[in-house]
Amino acid sequence: MSTIYDQYETVIGLEIHIQLNTNSKAFCGDDAHFGGAPNTHVSAISLGHPGTLPRLNAQQIKSAIKLGLALGSEINSVNTFDRKNYFYADLPKGYQITQDNQPFCRGGSVMVKTINGERAIRTHHIHMEEDAGKSIHDLDPNHSFIDLNRAGVPLLEIVTEPDLRSGEEVEAYMLAMRQLVRYLDISDGNMDEGSMRCDVNISVRKKGETTFGERCEVKNVNSMRFAKRAIQYEVKRQIDLIESGGKVRQQTLNFDPETGVTSPLRDKEDAHDYRYFPEPDLPPVHLSNEQIELWKSELPALPKELYAKFTKEHQLSDYDATILTEERPVAVFYQKLAELNGNYKAVANLMINKIRPYIQEQKIHIQEFPVPVNSLSDFIQLIVDGKVASAMAYQRIFPKLIETPNETPLSIAEQLHLIQSADEDFLMTLVKEVIEKNPQKVAAYQKGKKGLIGFFMGEIMRASKGKADPKATNQLLGELLRK
Amino acid sequence: MSKNTTLQQIQSAIQSGDLTCVELVNTYLAQIQKTSDLNAYVEVFEEEAIAKAKALDTKYKNDPTSVGKLFGMVVSIKDVLCYKDHQVTGASKILEDFTSLYSATAIERIVNEDAIIIGRVNCDQFGMGSTNENSVYGVTKNGIDPTKVPGGSSGGSAVSVQMDTCLVSLGTDTGGSVRQPAGFCGVIGLKPTYGRISRYGLLAYASSFDQIGIISKSVENIATILEVMAGADEFDSTVSSKLVPNYIQELDFDTNKKVKIAYFDTALNHPSIDPEIKDQTTQLIEKIKGEGHTVEAVPFEYLDYIIPAYYVLTTAEASSNLSRYDGIRYGHRSKAATNLEETYKMSRTEGFSTEVKRRIMLGTFVLSAGYYDAYYGKAQKVRRLIQDRTNEILNDYDFILMPVAPTTAWDLGQSLEDPVAMYLADIFTVQANMTGMPAIALPIGTHSSGLPIGVQLMNKHFGESELLSISKYLINLLK
Repeated sequence: MSTIYDQYETVIGLEIHIQLNTNSKAFCGDDAHFGGAPNTHVSAISLGHPGTLPRLNAQQIKSAIKLGLALGSEINSVNTFDRKNYFYADLPKGYQITQDNQPFCRGGSVMVKTINGERAIRTHHIHMEEDAGKSIHDLDPNHSFIDLNRAGVPLLEIVTEPDLRSGEEVEAYMLAMRQLVRYLDISDGNMDEGSMRCDVNISVRKKGETTFGERCEVKNVNSMRFAKRAIQYEVKRQIDLIESGGKVRQQTLNFDPETGVTSPLRDKEDAHDYRYFPEPDLPPVHLSNEQIELWKSELPALPKELYAKFTKEHQLSDYDATILTEERPVAVFYQKLAELNGNYKAVANLMINKIRPYIQEQKIHIQEFPVPVNSLSDFIQLIVDGKVASAMAYQRIFPKLIETPNETPLSIAEQLHLIQSADEDFLMTLVKEVIEKNPQKVAAYQKGKKGLIGFFMGEIMRASKGKADPKATNQLLGELLRK
Repeated sequence: MSKNTTLQQIQSAIQSGDLTCVELVNTYLAQIQKTSDLNAYVEVFEEEAIAKAKALDTKYKNDPTSVGKLFGMVVSIKDVLCYKDHQVTGASKILEDFTSLYSATAIERIVNEDAIIIGRVNCDQFGMGSTNENSVYGVTKNGIDPTKVPGGSSGGSAVSVQMDTCLVSLGTDTGGSVRQPAGFCGVIGLKPTYGRISRYGLLAYASSFDQIGIISKSVENIATILEVMAGADEFDSTVSSKLVPNYIQELDFDTNKKVKIAYFDTALNHPSIDPEIKDQTTQLIEKIKGEGHTVEAVPFEYLDYIIPAYYVLTTAEASSNLSRYDGIRYGHRSKAATNLEETYKMSRTEGFSTEVKRRIMLGTFVLSAGYYDAYYGKAQKVRRLIQDRTNEILNDYDFILMPVAPTTAWDLGQSLEDPVAMYLADIFTVQANMTGMPAIALPIGTHSSGLPIGVQLMNKHFGESELLSISKYLINLLK
């Protein structure tokens, strides 16, 4: 049944903050890593002491450009910094160094899978800025605490066009973005550590309308689940407001994950005047075409490219290709293995069913997987060649291989007596035995109950302890049963 | 003491055994004591300076070649320059009792070359002012006439040199703050090219204008210390990596060389100019011409736009630069404040002087939404026009000559009544900061009131060598 809510369309734009994984902060040499005792990753510069000046960390420029290139953005050749002025206790200088006029990247897009198929979500621009410190208000009833370890850590802000239409699309976009920054190795993308944060701009309009409704900005949504819930709540609130004759006012809202409710932080009327102006302490950064081209050539293969390769060249299913491209190290490992062993489907199966679950269980990096790739390739070949039944290989050889990674899969298979036999005498004895033991089933088969072939195969395999070569057995069984 | 006005003389005296560093420092300390009524120093590093002098005497005795280039140079520093483990307050209550965790690059370089820093000298709060009356430590008085101001903002620096309490003083110059007090006090003041000396450790007033400047009685001393301080610094992204010349070696003016000097009729005939200053400047021009050089009037149509544009741009930058003084992490925090907003408002209200607050308000206004284009944006365009026109002139001429200020030193208290009049008095010095060009103020004579009169020369970017050598030449010419 259609409700009033179905008459509306949701319009969402995102501002995503990505904390870069540089070693040092954006404008000084302080440690930029997450964690550390409060106020230990600080110096006179990040504390905003009198007389200190910013100096640009070159690493963050490369990170910004890599992301821009991966999104297909236009890269600016002259890039400037600006100051955004406001007072807050965790902002040491009383201004944030950011980019207002000449951000590093403009345009570009990310392909996102939605229920209506794949869609390009356009990027408005990507700019660079420094993070503020952290205010902690819940440790003491009368005091707030400030941790400035994060102050000055480099951020990229990705501002999208208002192209998203639902919480699910937002989640898909965030996942795609997280995957991308991890592929590019510019951020760990961990939302729970604040490496990826997001402000959500939400408006609603009647379906078919071409102008946008008045929007509200929900600040600092720090998980994808919260983002979905905040959107859900906010969309309902706005539609209810309009339907009851009210008007949505442009507001900045805070989302409370405990109650699932958004509440106003400030109205448009008392919006900050940030008094942006060019940062006089940092000269413009000029990027040459050669530099940009060099960085472009250094980009790793991106998830969408690998997905295309895996589905087209390797003929893998959408499911397999999606899982294999989810994280770059897995995709790289798969490719290495696929280079050694061209049975792509078998390689994919091993990756998805055994290797990936194993590293997840053990919480190890895929590069720490104990079995060398050439041995894994031999393992796959045993199955492909029909020397070992795949179930036997997975259940018995694989665990042994992990225990003793230096042994060859073949020798393990031999020790475990799992080499399948295609020897006709051996098979003939087994098949005959089974036929003799089951005269009624043979009669039923001969009367046309062809499905019984599975029963005979199962019996033979059990009797052979998995060593009977299924192909040869099947053929022989067919011949004998027809007699 | 006055016979030892150059570092070279001091070093020779030490070498010949007529002088030790300890004796030198003691003489300066006695002089500081004697002139303490003028209030040039806000802190004297007495024990430390003596200890350093002792150590240097021993070092020199053990190995005369082991001492640094500035061995024997005693320096005072403006209270806006950071010196590790020493207080720096910008002459403001907002930084009361603040001790710097690090040394400014320039300070570190001179200390490494064995300069002795004898004390911290007074100035206008955060360099904002032209009289040195705007200081939490009270006014500094002009040693020639204590009823007059020494100029500002580096007034303490100028007086400390004027009264022979040190050989050299480091000031800062955002719109004339080194040259104008040098002019008012009858000493020499150089503002180098923007970016010649690292600003790291200089309490920022207006970042795209600020530059460390040098005050001394001899051009040689300025050349020597400039060479030590100048050059690339990884802590300042705006400093130039241009090679630093050997200024001392390039100091001698080739008397066969004839230079071309421009001056502005609009400046010399400006309604604000004191007639005696105009006369003495004109006489100097004639004297230079008499030596076979060319001195010509050139049109400069932007003179009256300089001050308004300068105050829009510098206050805009200042309003942001001074935001860090918020009472949260260091400096003055109001005891009456009960929450965050009150902490900001009350600490800043109590901590900053009226003049600083005036400039913060002005700067906040010119950057605010709806006014940016009309003020900040427009002023940036004016700055560009002034830069272009000045470059044009200096393509045709070697130097631009101007008075340092339209008047001699004012009466104490005079400027406080009309701040805009004080702003307008920067009319001749601000051009060098708007364009980033180097400029030097030299004493050329005495007014009938007994106060010094100065002249200013300006040159192309990084033309400090030529500026210093013509200065030396002109000083000899005027002897």
